[in-house]
Amino acid sequence: MIRKNILAILLLAPLLFLKPAAATALEQPETVCIQCHGSMPDRLGAPVNLWRGSIHAENGISCNGCHGGDPKDAANAMSPQRGFLGAPKEKDIPAFCGRCHPGVYKDYLASAHGRALGAGGPTCVTCHSNHQVVKASLALINEKSCTRCHSFERAKTIRDAMSGTEARIVGISGRIAQFQVSGVDTEKMGKALFSVRNRFHTLFHDVDVNRVKNESAAINKELDKLDAALKVIDDEHARRRVVGGIAVAFAVLLAILFHLMKKTYD
Amino acid sequence: MLNRLYRWLDLRYGIGEIAEKELTGYLLPRNINEWYSLGSVLLVIFAIQVVTGMLLMIYYVPDADKAFKSVSFIMNEVPFGWFIRLCHAVGSNMMVAVLLLHMFSTLMMGSYKAPRELNWVTGFTLFALVQGISLTGYLAPWSQLSFWATTVATNSVSAIPVLGPTLVEFLRGGKLVGPATLGRFFALHAAVLPVVIAALIGAHLFFLKRTGISAPPFGKDETANPFEAREYHYQGHPGGIPFFPNYALQDLSSISIYFAVFLAVVFFWPNMPFTPDAFVPADPFKTPAHIKPEWYFLANYQTLKIFPSELLGLSVQAAAMTFLALLPFIDRSPERHPLKRPLFLTLVIAGILLWIALSVWGHLS
Repeated sequence: MIRKNILAILLLAPLLFLKPAAATALEQPETVCIQCHGSMPDRLGAPVNLWRGSIHAENGISCNGCHGGDPKDAANAMSPQRGFLGAPKEKDIPAFCGRCHPGVYKDYLASAHGRALGAGGPTCVTCHSNHQVVKASLALINEKSCTRCHSFERAKTIRDAMSGTEARIVGISGRIAQFQVSGVDTEKMGKALFSVRNRFHTLFHDVDVNRVKNESAAINKELDKLDAALKVIDDEHARRRVVGGIAVAFAVLLAILFHLMKKTYD
Repeated sequence: MLNRLYRWLDLRYGIGEIAEKELTGYLLPRNINEWYSLGSVLLVIFAIQVVTGMLLMIYYVPDADKAFKSVSFIMNEVPFGWFIRLCHAVGSNMMVAVLLLHMFSTLMMGSYKAPRELNWVTGFTLFALVQGISLTGYLAPWSQLSFWATTVATNSVSAIPVLGPTLVEFLRGGKLVGPATLGRFFALHAAVLPVVIAALIGAHLFFLKRTGISAPPFGKDETANPFEAREYHYQGHPGGIPFFPNYALQDLSSISIYFAVFLAVVFFWPNMPFTPDAFVPADPFKTPAHIKPEWYFLANYQTLKIFPSELLGLSVQAAAMTFLALLPFIDRSPERHPLKRPLFLTLVIAGILLWIALSVWGHLS
């Protein structure tokens, strides 16, 4: 009896040492910009909250990523010697954003929007917003936004021409990702889609309806090829499942057969 | 033709006599149950692991620069390579699962008791070695999952006082997991451990043959262990059922059920042994957010996390493993029926529930 009690104590004793699991989520350390401006009222504090909901925050691009300065030293955070740039003037905004998005900057300058820069034309933040920077998508082309400057008619035609292509790119991207996490070598397809997507993105700042339509048609042909390649893999996986189903059924039948044979000997 | 071949062999080697002794004349207890066939299932799994492992070695390159690509080549270019790799990966998980069931049945039926202490010890060592061969094989694809799971696993050894850091460096072949780690883990996985496991399986079967198979404690009035430590005695079962064809058919039935489950996983749940990080090449500069060990290490992983120090966590695990390994020498009571051993039954159920709870906790944490 004593031995049994000792066994129970030995097995249960470790429970006494249990402690709650430590929090494991890793959070990015806040920069001094956010520490100071986060607690400031109105104009000086508002950008922080707006930034928190932005695509930049989602990807770890903080204040200093655009405005420069030293995010670790509160005293010199806004020192020009530490690279602080401050807020750009309106006509400098595209070049300001273009430091990280050179391709988009080039497309924008070539578009009617870009050509009107400094003459009342829109800049990046007109559509993408500043601080609460919104991810580039066709949803940005909407009546409410576009009619601030002009009618929606032409913008709608462009959006309609592009929306089907975007949906296909998103769909194919999802299918490639699914195959990738099941061991399929998707490197070639991933690169092809990356190239097609980049080509498609150049249309985002184009306002020439015919060019958008023609380019969308050409891009869709490329997507057809990717679709066909994915279908081959889909068909192969479907065939595997059929063979697998037959193999499993055969194994179950064998199990039943051996069991019945054994019964005859009992 | 077959008859002529049999006669030819029998005249020279007396195979009829061996068949009579080991198959038709090998009698088993009449109340033997399905749980006893798990040993045969495990032999089949081990054979599948060896064969698929050999086939994988034809194309696998144990070099940090080439390992990931070679596994991807096997999965995508080699005919049926995907099938062989999945059988190997799923098989390793199934082997641990079936081993756990085999040990559970041995525990519940008290089959570890005298004179079968060494059957249990070799079996338990086999369980530890199978976990070891799984861990070393985990690094082989050189994926993010492999790299970081191995980093975490080898790092836990550093909690051992004094020798810890040296041991970690010895295991890794350097300060960090790298090409040298892959080399030594591959050697362990493909050469050392399979041979040791095969030898221990031989010892396990040798002990089984010398002690005789234990009768289940169910369906009998007298359930105490009949062993008396006076002189060697083979526990036969006069009037029992022959191994062949009776129990061989049960073995075949259990093996077929295993194949049904195994193939269902391979064909319909092929991602079971993997996480998305398993398909990203290892990157020592990019730590994935949620690296978790395989399901059978989750309880160990969580235990390390919940104790105030890793050393305490390791010590508790070492104590629990030692306790289980030496169970036949600690639990010497003759009773074998689980319902007549309420404290033992309570501890087993509590232990299993604790293991499940820690595993779930480890998975969710």
